[in-house]
Amino acid sequence: MRKLLSLALVAVLALSVLALPASANEKVNFSVFQLKVEIDPMIQAFGKLYNEKHPDVNVTVETLGGGADYGGALKAKLTADQMPTIFMIEGQGGYDLWKDFIADMSDADWVKDTDLAFYDPDGKAVGFPIAMEGFGLGYNAEILEKAGVDPATLTTFSATKAAIEKIAGMKEELGLDAVVSVGTSVAGGLWWVTSQHVFNAFYAGYQDYNDSSVYDALRRGEVDQERLTAFANYLKLLYDNADPNVLENGNYDAQVAAFASGKAAFITQGNWIDPNLAQLEATFPMGYVSHNFLEEESTGLYMAAPSWFVVNKQASPEQQKAAIDFLNYMALSEDGANYMVAEAGMVPAFKSVKLQPEGPFSKALVEASARGGNFNWYFGQNPDGFNQGTLGPIFELLATGTVEDFVADVTAAFQEIANK
Amino acid sequence: MKRRGWIDALFIFPCAFAFIMVIIVPFGLGIYYAMTDWNGVNPIVNWVGLSNFQGMFSEPQFIYSFLITLMYTAINVVFVNIVGFGLALLVTGKLRLRNIYRAGFFVPNLIGGIVLGYIWQFIFNNVQVDMGNALGIAFLQKSLISRPDTVIWAMSVVNTWQYAGYIMMIYVASIQSIPGSVMEAASVDGANFSQRVRRILIPMMASAFTITLFLTLTNSFKQFDLNFTLTNGGPAMRFMAKPIRASQLLAMDIYRTANQQNLMAQAQAKAVIFFIVLVIFSLTQVYLNKRKELEA
Repeated sequence: MRKLLSLALVAVLALSVLALPASANEKVNFSVFQLKVEIDPMIQAFGKLYNEKHPDVNVTVETLGGGADYGGALKAKLTADQMPTIFMIEGQGGYDLWKDFIADMSDADWVKDTDLAFYDPDGKAVGFPIAMEGFGLGYNAEILEKAGVDPATLTTFSATKAAIEKIAGMKEELGLDAVVSVGTSVAGGLWWVTSQHVFNAFYAGYQDYNDSSVYDALRRGEVDQERLTAFANYLKLLYDNADPNVLENGNYDAQVAAFASGKAAFITQGNWIDPNLAQLEATFPMGYVSHNFLEEESTGLYMAAPSWFVVNKQASPEQQKAAIDFLNYMALSEDGANYMVAEAGMVPAFKSVKLQPEGPFSKALVEASARGGNFNWYFGQNPDGFNQGTLGPIFELLATGTVEDFVADVTAAFQEIANK
Repeated sequence: MKRRGWIDALFIFPCAFAFIMVIIVPFGLGIYYAMTDWNGVNPIVNWVGLSNFQGMFSEPQFIYSFLITLMYTAINVVFVNIVGFGLALLVTGKLRLRNIYRAGFFVPNLIGGIVLGYIWQFIFNNVQVDMGNALGIAFLQKSLISRPDTVIWAMSVVNTWQYAGYIMMIYVASIQSIPGSVMEAASVDGANFSQRVRRILIPMMASAFTITLFLTLTNSFKQFDLNFTLTNGGPAMRFMAKPIRASQLLAMDIYRTANQQNLMAQAQAKAVIFFIVLVIFSLTQVYLNKRKELEA
């Protein structure tokens, strides 16, 4: 009798494994994995709102960014068989790596509403532009006024140099720790500030928006030594006038806080720090000037879509359709426009969105965009891992090294990838 | 009750299954992938034989990581064991609050490597620099983890802080297993403290040394989480005329090659070398220690 009972219990236990949940869950579940850490609360709220308005689908949003390794985490998700339905790529490098997982969205409604979509080599629209982002050398207008520097005059290298040196001489009375807030350390996770963004001035500056001749030559292995040396001197000027602790050890929060608290007059960051500045209650007037490393006059800023949402072509057809509907909703509906502009403070990449962002740096970008004469972004086209792995340490070394070594290292780095 | 072979097999099965799936199979697959050109994402994989192994020995970063890992292991094994042994002597002596000390010294070991890294990063970058500025000591004014020549020592300090308590416990257990009568007899015969420690205690603790040296050796060699959170590969420096990361230990180099440079196959090849070197080191160490144990 005992044996029968225990056998029966074992059978029940075994069979319970087979009791799969009945598909009362008709919902299509899909996921978004994105890397803009500054908009995480806003995109989570948008996801919830979308779920409420569309009861037949369920979207989960996950964020990983700042200094963390998004690329590594995405690869880990692939290996764990948890590839998200919508994820982000930052340019050609990302596309080349993930192309077997990127679906064609040419027929989606949002494609007609934007100029900034990402196109694959066959001309099909595959990337949904997150926003239009941009940067320049950000300045604190109050501090500049006190120092007697007019930002409108900062259009050439010598003007910028003179202004920085003037402010450096007045650090004590202006209450600054350093003139420029730059971070470049590998350890602090700020390699992208210099090796991607500031260096983009080298790729794109002083040319037409659609003229990529300097970058194309670079990828062929031809490095313009004069231009690179001028850029290196400019970057060294910024480094020499930065707080060494932030420069060599600082992380994203440290760099933004130094500027927000009025301890630095300039900052090398983009308009994505607007939500952070709002949180830190930085209400002083601010704006952008160009990264002037040549004597030519320049007022343009560096703007483009920084990253694109792509849809996983290996997800199920229902998930892919749900994902595309989600993206259409984000681009074309009022809720979407509200989330992108009013809440996340991004500059919209879609022509139909009439709202304007509130953040000071974003407003500066919108103004510059209307003015014209701006420059494109090219660092996204570098091979995956090149900016972080190869250029990152070189840019960090410039802080303690020489301009000649820097020029030699960068030249060697591009020549190495040109030969591949 | 008759013992049938298949019942034994069934009992062992879950454990053996997990071991095979999680350790043996990936190990075999790893050796296979080390001889291909897989980049981690591409579904197409081509056989390339041993060329991955040849390539890595001419990479400045890999050579540097290898050397720095050996140096770090040497420094760390010495530090952790000296500090652990010292604490063990302290805590088995006639100190009044010794039980509280024992618990206290062990607590840092409970903090995970990740949190530890971030806390100490704050201490080195902010506390140490502020102290240096306030006291005007030039050596302290630049964070110890942002200088290529001191970063390994700084990492060893943090690892010692974390691990010494654990090692101390092993030594304490060993010391307490030595009959008190032996030590008493020695002091009656006129041996002073250091003679007692050197001639009696240490030889009788030979088996503890085997364990602790093995643990510290393998732990230091495989170090990753502390490396990642404390220095993330650390300050940039020049080596063999190329800019590299000064505190990138071997495990992190393998991780970086795999994830950042998308060279999964090369990373796998490095991992195979890593495995072979570690096995050689630890087997040698255990062999030498066991011989000492037998002699004692």
